[in-house]
Amino acid sequence: MSSLVSASGVSKTYGSVRAVDNVSFEIEKGRITGLIGPNGAGKTTLLKAVLGLTDFEGELSVLGLDPFRQRKELMQNICFIADVAVLPRWIRVRQLLDFVEAIHPRFTRKRAEELLGETKIPSGAKVRELSKGMVTQLHLSIITAVDATLLVLDEPTLGLDIIFRKEFYRNLLNDYFDEERTILITTHQVEEIENLLSDVMFINDGRIVLDAAMDTLPERYVELMAAGEAAEKARQMNPIFEREVFGKRVLTFEDVERTDLEELGELRTPDIADLFVAKVKGAAA
Amino acid sequence: MIQTQWALIQRELWEHRAILIVPIVILLIEALGSLVGQVTVSTAHQTVDIALLSAANLSETQRAGAINLIMVAVSILFVMAMGVLTIFYALDSLYAERKDKSILFWRSMPVTDAETVVSKLATTVIVIPVVTFIAIIATQLIVLIISSVWVAAEGANAWQLIWTAVPFVDNWSSIFILLLALAIWMSPFIGWFLFVSAFTKRSPFLMAFLPFIVVPMLERIFFGTWLFGQMLLNRVPFNVPIFGGIGDPETMFDDDSEFLALLESGVSLLSLIDVPGFLADPDVWLGMIVCGLLSFAAIYVRRFRDES
Repeated sequence: MSSLVSASGVSKTYGSVRAVDNVSFEIEKGRITGLIGPNGAGKTTLLKAVLGLTDFEGELSVLGLDPFRQRKELMQNICFIADVAVLPRWIRVRQLLDFVEAIHPRFTRKRAEELLGETKIPSGAKVRELSKGMVTQLHLSIITAVDATLLVLDEPTLGLDIIFRKEFYRNLLNDYFDEERTILITTHQVEEIENLLSDVMFINDGRIVLDAAMDTLPERYVELMAAGEAAEKARQMNPIFEREVFGKRVLTFEDVERTDLEELGELRTPDIADLFVAKVKGAAA
Repeated sequence: MIQTQWALIQRELWEHRAILIVPIVILLIEALGSLVGQVTVSTAHQTVDIALLSAANLSETQRAGAINLIMVAVSILFVMAMGVLTIFYALDSLYAERKDKSILFWRSMPVTDAETVVSKLATTVIVIPVVTFIAIIATQLIVLIISSVWVAAEGANAWQLIWTAVPFVDNWSSIFILLLALAIWMSPFIGWFLFVSAFTKRSPFLMAFLPFIVVPMLERIFFGTWLFGQMLLNRVPFNVPIFGGIGDPETMFDDDSEFLALLESGVSLLSLIDVPGFLADPDVWLGMIVCGLLSFAAIYVRRFRDES
């Protein structure tokens, strides 16, 4: 069993809205999976199901546990940071460490203190006295000091300035990540995490529209930049999406041999953001 | 399990510092009051002059009675504060974490919803009474020390007149039992407050107290009965069935009440406390069952409610 997370036919309905619609996927150990989708696509709902914070239909196994029924056991091995899961504003940094140390069997206080020592966060400060960036640093320091198997990040850098964002991902990779650990992350700032990801999942309207390893993308997807007759010719080959850049046509192809397109224009592998637009808008068209 | 509860309760005290601060403030006020020479307690309409203790012509009984009055008088403000603290704490305990959005952080820790709600229940039923008890003892000791200085200044023997005259064990054990009995007696309300705190989207205070007015009114209009209102009126702190039915609870603290007369007679406080009678009272158990059910409901709401 190398799958850390295994979902099969997972759905969640709020009233008449189907936030997550019959979703199935697997996440393996040691991977960094990006869950990409527009607002309201069901990303947060899906993460909540994985974290045992909401009930759902279908089958979902996380670290071999049923997340909703075994949340306590699960949380010993999962950490998460979300912009909606803020640290309580009244607590002091020291108290927070005391609390997690008492509650969490896999927390190493010394490690957290080391990490906090590298920041400007005073241990006597209350959370309400810290800037938003510092609160995220604090949260990441605590979580990095937990020997957890799976880390779930939901818009972890929302509202942070660029320096904090860069530092966040650098710390994540340097201090946290190793082959024993797995990360599941959602963010709007796709460009910033593109290089970290080993896998990517696109979600739209509660459905998964793409689930692939990053290194398979160049084989499967290609973007052709062409003009005039060449563009017209390329259009016959069923591109999944087409847009215009500087007067030229940019066509995105799925599962097409690159050799068939080479003579028509310039080829490149689409970046995640472009591919996302192609998959989502292309499917809608 | 114990370690988790300990950490959770400590967390409650960090967040709700009033639980510790209010008793300390009352302690300081009463110490100051006694320094001035008297403890004034509005509810009891009693002014107890500490100088009384030095009067050499007091009989043993009179002195014991005066000491009883002082001890009880010192406690009353704390017991009232305990009530107010409990109401505000319980109503805030499961509401604030949703309002400040920290609930998902707390739920990201390996702690079950049941453990969390139990820690909040334990804070109201055990921690607040114990803190109140400690504060009462400390205040009594301070007041007695101040009285001793006073008495000594009058040229009398404070050790003999005060310290050997106060039945400490009797007094303290009765106060402790009374505080716990009060918490258990009022526990259905605590359960209700916890449930409202977990359930309501806004203004927990209003949501908690409005039904106490509206439900009896509706019952009166539609059924012509008065059962719920009667039940509420029956379950007030003064009705705690721990005194073995001495005197009428409603007039317990009137100037001419039997209860005060009993105290003044220097009776042992512990002899007024009837623990078996309390435990044999079906109303006590009914209250605990209601508290348990409502706490269960609070756990259920915290677990199944999806804040998004």
